[in-house]
Amino acid sequence: MNEVKAGPVAIATKALLTLMYGVPILWILITSVKSSADVFDRASTFVFTPTLDAYANAITPTLWQAMGQSAVIAVGATALVLIVAVPAAYGLARTTGWLPTVGLGLLIVLQMMPQTANVIPLFQIFSSWRLLDTTAAVILADAALLVPFATLLLRPFFRAVPPQLEEASSIDGAGVLRTFWTVVLPVARNGVFTVGTLIFLLAWGEFLYAVNFYLTPGSYPLSALLAQQVSAFGIDWPGLMALAVLTSVPILVVFSLTYRQLKDGLTVGAVK
Amino acid sequence: MTTTLAPTAGRAGSPAAPGPRRRRPRQTRLLFMLPAAVFLGVLSVYPLVTLVRMAFSKVTAATLNADWAFSGLDNFTAGLESGDTGAAVSRTLVFVVVVTVLGMGLGLGGAIALRTRGWWSGALLALMVFVWALPPVVNGSVWKFLLADTGLLNTVLLGTGLRDTPVPFLYDQHWALASVAFVNAFAVIPFNALVYRAALLTIEPEVFEAAQLDGASKAQQVRHIMVPSVRGTTLVLLILTLVYGFRSFDFIYVMTYGGPGTATNTLPFLGYLQAFVRYDYGLGAATSVIAVAGVLVLAALYARSIRNEEKHG
Repeated sequence: MNEVKAGPVAIATKALLTLMYGVPILWILITSVKSSADVFDRASTFVFTPTLDAYANAITPTLWQAMGQSAVIAVGATALVLIVAVPAAYGLARTTGWLPTVGLGLLIVLQMMPQTANVIPLFQIFSSWRLLDTTAAVILADAALLVPFATLLLRPFFRAVPPQLEEASSIDGAGVLRTFWTVVLPVARNGVFTVGTLIFLLAWGEFLYAVNFYLTPGSYPLSALLAQQVSAFGIDWPGLMALAVLTSVPILVVFSLTYRQLKDGLTVGAVK
Repeated sequence: MTTTLAPTAGRAGSPAAPGPRRRRPRQTRLLFMLPAAVFLGVLSVYPLVTLVRMAFSKVTAATLNADWAFSGLDNFTAGLESGDTGAAVSRTLVFVVVVTVLGMGLGLGGAIALRTRGWWSGALLALMVFVWALPPVVNGSVWKFLLADTGLLNTVLLGTGLRDTPVPFLYDQHWALASVAFVNAFAVIPFNALVYRAALLTIEPEVFEAAQLDGASKAQQVRHIMVPSVRGTTLVLLILTLVYGFRSFDFIYVMTYGGPGTATNTLPFLGYLQAFVRYDYGLGAATSVIAVAGVLVLAALYARSIRNEEKHG
């Protein structure tokens, strides 16, 4: 680590970034405890009587249902992604030749695809499979969106597992599958955990598939509910901000439990 | 969301000279990729093939699940002749430039500032990564509110007398595109800063000490030490940020829904509107195919830069 003293430019940059990232968070919280009248009254921008009305109005059976829906989708997608991506990442980390190279290239391309390029054909495909309006459709689509990303992010973690460990295990007579399960996976579990967390966060926030594959707003997850409200006409800002806060609470919990691994995992999995 | 990959961690993982004895288990491990291959084949590759087929067919709401009539390049020419495609391409370019310049500039600037130790840097980095991890729909809705006529920014601008009328951040042709691009940059800066910071921390402290002894100013240290040493990182992040801006969708959907008028209809958003609002799936597919082609070009550049990095890095 470099021992660096912050100069005036660094302090100014930090102040700017603190404003840029602190104010939005602060503003969600402040607005969520305002009354609608205070939001539109310029005099009460900073001085107002806090009220929990927005939360009281936001917390309805619909919200609980949406939160449950979000949980099912996010957990389902995370599980499915890990089941598919973990072995794939291990396979890619331990093989060479043209097949893994092509696979790697394909994954890079797939993870860069615009989501809008998938939603159009998937709508037709799910429609012909009679999967529209089901949670399974959203989970499958989310998983397909996130598997390339997860595999690419997981691969370095498997490469970091010493091959000697596997050799020792195979000398002991364990098969490839058993070695993977009892030796490799436990060593790489931090990476799997980090990637799982990230996938959960992304699946929690995804709304395009949910908005299009559910045919009625009745079964929307939180993200889709929020998206629908924001693009609506005549917005109830305190209600919306309360909904945004409630959508973010699970993210805050997951984030504060995993920040260290998340930070390190992102930088390892990312460029270098 | 951006983020990625890059096969750099530990080349040591694969033995340099595999003996014949190890060849067999290696081939077995190819089978580990089978579930992913099947899964992505059905839910990623097949949809892309379907997309291309739709782009060359007449597909409307009525014929979505029937046989599609092959229409050749009709969808593409229709898009071009209406002027929608061309306008969307130029808007996408403006958008990408704003996102990339802000995202890369403030990403590196933030990383340089966040290299310093202390509680402020640590807390700020955590805050930025938290905001990055928030769903785009949350960030988008907050910014939609901050930029509204009665939002915080306009309240401050009017209150300090800098403006007489609210700035139409999201209601004006030109402001809207710039505003949404800014929010997209806002969402990608934390990731870029995090990755840049990690790269900067690998520079030996002695290098800076020596530079200081030679009387190099802070600016010179940035220009002659930091910028060159993160060149590889810059290349990769640049392409990731370009792709991120190019395929951006969430913030546009939430903040402007393509409006006012068509002011924020970028290529991916236009394709979405054509398919799901106008129910012309063929036309939407054609527009999306153009967006996919743009991504393919960027992906090829990306693959090349990674290969070079692995060779030199």
